[in-house]
Amino acid sequence: MLVERKKWRLHHIVYLAAGIGFLAWCADGTNLRPTELASGIPKIAKYFALMVPPKWSFAEIVWKPAIETVYIAVWGNVLASLIGLPLGVLAARNITRLASVRFVAKSTLNLLRSISELIWAIFFVAAVGLGPFPGAVALGMNYAGILGRLYAEAMENIDPGPVEALQATGAGRIQVILFAIFPQVLPQFVTYMLYWFEVGVRSATVLGMVGAGGIGFELVTTIKLFEFRETAVILLVIFGMVTIIDYASTLIRSRIY
Amino acid sequence: MNQEPPETTTPGQERNPTMVSVKDVSKTYAGAGATEALRNVSIEVREGEFLVILGPSGAGKSTLMRCINRLVEPTSGSIIVDGREVTSRRRELRAVRRQVGMVFQQFNLVKRLSVLMNVLSGRLAYHTLWRSLIYSFNKEDKRIAIECLARVNMEHKTFQRADTLSGGEQQRVAIARALAQQPKVILADEPVASLDPKIARQVLTYLKQIAGELGITVLCNLHQVEYAREYAERVVGLSRGAVVFDGPSGKLTDDILQQIYYRDSEAGDDDDV
Amino acid sequence: MTMTFERDVAATLQMEAAHRQRRFAKGLGWGGLTVAVLWFTADQIGMNPLALIKGADHMWDFLTRMFPPDLSYIFFLGRATVETVQIAVWGTLLAVVFSIPLSLLAARNTTPLVMLPWFTETWQRLSLHLLVFHLTRLLLNMLRGINELIFALIFVSAVGLGPFAGVLAIALHATGMLAKFCGEEIEGVDQGQIEAVQATGASKMQVILFAVIPQVIPAFISYSIFRFDVSIRSATVLGLVGAGGLGFSLIKTMKLFKYYETATCILVIFLLVAGADWICSKWRAKVI
Repeated sequence: MLVERKKWRLHHIVYLAAGIGFLAWCADGTNLRPTELASGIPKIAKYFALMVPPKWSFAEIVWKPAIETVYIAVWGNVLASLIGLPLGVLAARNITRLASVRFVAKSTLNLLRSISELIWAIFFVAAVGLGPFPGAVALGMNYAGILGRLYAEAMENIDPGPVEALQATGAGRIQVILFAIFPQVLPQFVTYMLYWFEVGVRSATVLGMVGAGGIGFELVTTIKLFEFRETAVILLVIFGMVTIIDYASTLIRSRIY
Repeated sequence: MNQEPPETTTPGQERNPTMVSVKDVSKTYAGAGATEALRNVSIEVREGEFLVILGPSGAGKSTLMRCINRLVEPTSGSIIVDGREVTSRRRELRAVRRQVGMVFQQFNLVKRLSVLMNVLSGRLAYHTLWRSLIYSFNKEDKRIAIECLARVNMEHKTFQRADTLSGGEQQRVAIARALAQQPKVILADEPVASLDPKIARQVLTYLKQIAGELGITVLCNLHQVEYAREYAERVVGLSRGAVVFDGPSGKLTDDILQQIYYRDSEAGDDDDV
Repeated sequence: MTMTFERDVAATLQMEAAHRQRRFAKGLGWGGLTVAVLWFTADQIGMNPLALIKGADHMWDFLTRMFPPDLSYIFFLGRATVETVQIAVWGTLLAVVFSIPLSLLAARNTTPLVMLPWFTETWQRLSLHLLVFHLTRLLLNMLRGINELIFALIFVSAVGLGPFAGVLAIALHATGMLAKFCGEEIEGVDQGQIEAVQATGASKMQVILFAVIPQVIPAFISYSIFRFDVSIRSATVLGLVGAGGLGFSLIKTMKLFKYYETATCILVIFLLVAGADWICSKWRAKVI
């Protein structure tokens, strides 16, 4: 054991030095220095201290955009499934035989997925104007990419036995998808939908920053106006909302199978 | 390409016409090993016959069955089912497959669907796509499905989910699904390999009854000699992809068994291909 | 066929009709509810497919102004791209460091039990001796529930523009995610191995070190890599609120109406995210 270690030691030192060097370089590039931390952390702490006590009456104003955030997430996910499912079917290896079709579907999913919902939101706000609707479409585009890929993977991982059995009865390709593949992946699909709805609510809280509806707009406004105590209320509302949805969705997910 | 059936080896079946005719079928799986799964296999099976294909694991039994309904594309040779050549052309292939039911070792039911839905899925080939899109079946389909379930004494479980059933029950539902196709031929690929002996005999009895009562030709893959002796009228012995015996089960002598099973001891441990 | 056979079939067919009706009613109920909810929410957020069609020429205008992308701008994006990766590296690394102790506190089987004198049986039944556990979970849920952009926004206004705020924002959010995931992994460890180590007379700390941690390390590493991938994606948009990285170039070029350059930014973001995704999935496959 010890002898072996000695043999590798030189490599280790080189790797370690390279790793530390890389991290130091990254820290330098991001201004992450001890002095910066020493001055920054107290500033942040002071910022949060100014939030106490929260100005509770502000809740009367923000509950509406808070609920709007949930609506955006609902429709964002509905659109995501509507767009993602067909693309996922086209991208699944065991369903779509043409490699070229799969490639196009996969690339589309990648494109949708790689561009953040905020960038999509900027685009759709430019197209249809401010409001929650472009937010929902933007969320739908980004999440279509995510869900579509997950759907495709779920379908690729099913038990091939029933598929073969239905092919053997002379059922057509789409009939096989409907009767052998979908029933198998349905619980997984629902789990994904619920989970990404949860994540969607969290994402939707920032869409307002680019004018795409939801509570994000109020948040940006209070921060820009240094209304710390109002900001606190918004943060708490977001936290409460996310927690409730978390619990609800966990509860439903545990009952699906 | 329909030729007159040659002299038969099975007594009592002389008048029945040929249902499945396999001619010179070979199959070589491409890839690293390039295994030759079937070598010039020729078999004639008559209407209503209960034929057991006997052989060790890896003898090519599954491949032979999958060539008949083209789940596997044979490398060469031709297969005729009920006077129709099996091709890989989609439309014609579906028509052939509709006439050929299949029963699997692992049952292959869709576990989350009800027993009824599983049996009904055997009717899909009779349907247009539009009807299937809304998961709807007509009354006649349902009557056929329930009748098929009753034939294997499973109608009392019609509305249960398939994953609540035991192995033997699942296999009976799978037989019902094959019957629901109203097929002329049923291919049973090691139907009892995952079942214990008592249940296995029950399942084989159902299969044999089907052949007798409904006049369906049943081809059944087995690797256990005792079941073959007990149930088969005629046995085809397959070893390393070639037919080494074709005759009534009574003529299965120890010599022949030796030939089927022990000609090549390495083949014994491989998975069925 | 026999009489009983016919009768059984007929009876089952009748039952099927009843079943179908019940299923239909149930389906109608749930379907109606779903449609109602979707209809209501669509109305509330002003869903309007027509607006998309009407806005099509706006979108088209937007797109044509982006094409062809000004590829020479890539050379100006080098710094921002590197910065994006750097933010993700340190954000994830800090999260990994923070979440090691936090995940131990956030798992029922490794959290220290606090027994205060007034913790009678009732209090215990309320599992308040898991005080540290509950408090940690609450903290983690807060970190998880609040988007990194919100943190970034707050930090930017506290410490000023720049990637530093971005690193902290990513670190906090990722800590919440990572520590909660890891805490759940710790709760799910194989009890047999723990008992085996306990049987040797090991202390609680030793049990954690030799029976718990080795079991969760592969999942922890794999999830950390996944988190790095997500962090890169997040880091590309942090710039929208001034916390450094490619997002800043994106918003800057947009505000200056230099859409050719915006297109280049989007292209670089796409390549960076796709590349990170590819590398991370390969890396994870290697680790597992």
